[in-house]
Amino acid sequence: MSQSIGYSTTPPTSSSRFSLPSVSSLTSSGSTSTNNNASLYSNSQNPSTSTINNSNRRESARSSIIQQGSSSLQQQLFGSSVQSQGGSNQQNQQQYTSILDRPLNKSKSSEISLSCWAFLFAEIVSYSQSRVDSVTDLERRLSTLGYEVGQRILSLVLLRNTQASNLKDPKREHRLIPILQFIHTQIYKYVFGKPADGLEKSSEADDEYMLILNESPLTQFISVPKDMSDLSCESFTAGLVEGVLDGLDVPARVTAHWVGDQYPDQPQRTVILIKLDQKVMDREEALR
Amino acid sequence: MTIHGLWVISKAGGLVFSRSYSDVLPPQPVNTILTLAGILHGIHAITAKLDPAPIPGTPTGGLESFEAEGWGGKVFLTPTGTKFVVLHSLPQSGLEELMRRIYEIYSDAVMKNPFHTPEMPINSALFDTKLQTLMSSMNA
Repeated sequence: MSQSIGYSTTPPTSSSRFSLPSVSSLTSSGSTSTNNNASLYSNSQNPSTSTINNSNRRESARSSIIQQGSSSLQQQLFGSSVQSQGGSNQQNQQQYTSILDRPLNKSKSSEISLSCWAFLFAEIVSYSQSRVDSVTDLERRLSTLGYEVGQRILSLVLLRNTQASNLKDPKREHRLIPILQFIHTQIYKYVFGKPADGLEKSSEADDEYMLILNESPLTQFISVPKDMSDLSCESFTAGLVEGVLDGLDVPARVTAHWVGDQYPDQPQRTVILIKLDQKVMDREEALR
Repeated sequence: MTIHGLWVISKAGGLVFSRSYSDVLPPQPVNTILTLAGILHGIHAITAKLDPAPIPGTPTGGLESFEAEGWGGKVFLTPTGTKFVVLHSLPQSGLEELMRRIYEIYSDAVMKNPFHTPEMPINSALFDTKLQTLMSSMNA
């Protein structure tokens, strides 16, 4: 008990401080130095009652924080497989309302309506539009927003995949093609509810890949005016893909291009062009 | 059984969209249609006040349809005050359903488009295309 309260915040008494110079004279033998160390924490020799109370309160407060924190974190990370022990904690779990308090692994009934998203995204676009001078700047802004989303989605999808495989086989792709396929199927399925309509390799350059979506749910209601015809609001998706790729350590420059004019059947067809960094190509070459 | 045309009148009474989907009615200059839409807006406002025994607290509807020789018009008022006017041949069935479809397309293609300014003329290619498809299926 007397050892544990050595870390209390009360300053050492003056006597212990003045005992310090004696260390130099006593360092010749190890046993005396340890004795001297003990005298440094002089309050351990005659602890006052207030210090004990203080440390006890802190200790109990800390332990309660750890208990709460660990149980909720475990619930979030590992779901219902880890049951909370206290009855009060279970009550808390049922009263979850905030999106931050919801368990991360529950994917059912956490979908939002497409209209809601469409109105939000329309507002995002017009907000961004009022703060830029050019179409390029607007695309960059949307891309930046998408990047943030992509980074978060990657963590979430990987976590849920790990949970789905019952924590036994945590998996993270490291080769280029599996990574692109992971985005094509899993990320797109998570974000849009369906896999991308195509994943193609550019015939012109080795380091360019294309993700194709015929009709993106994100931007299906948006019709770009003629004077901004080279704008693609899918830049958001491009940023999202870039965020995911960056999270998997595949730096790339990702851009969105509308190609609906070449496909009369699919007037909203959009290509997400992935231009990979040279570093990635070098690594792929080395791993081959 | 033909839909001749569609007008969209804003809350303030301005014509924000007009298209003709058949050549039965003689084409009118834009200014004439603007005037007609303005008159219709006024008539609608007056008719809304004509209820002999209005129920307190409930909004009054106003003009719902009108008929002329061989053709008629149907007025649909949204809760926000936008009016859709469909000009059609007589007799015409399925107008209620058509109005709901037009309203749906309007909410999707116009209201969710970040490049549309409320109360301003509608310049959405998507709105045009979707309406064209709908009207073609009605006029077929």
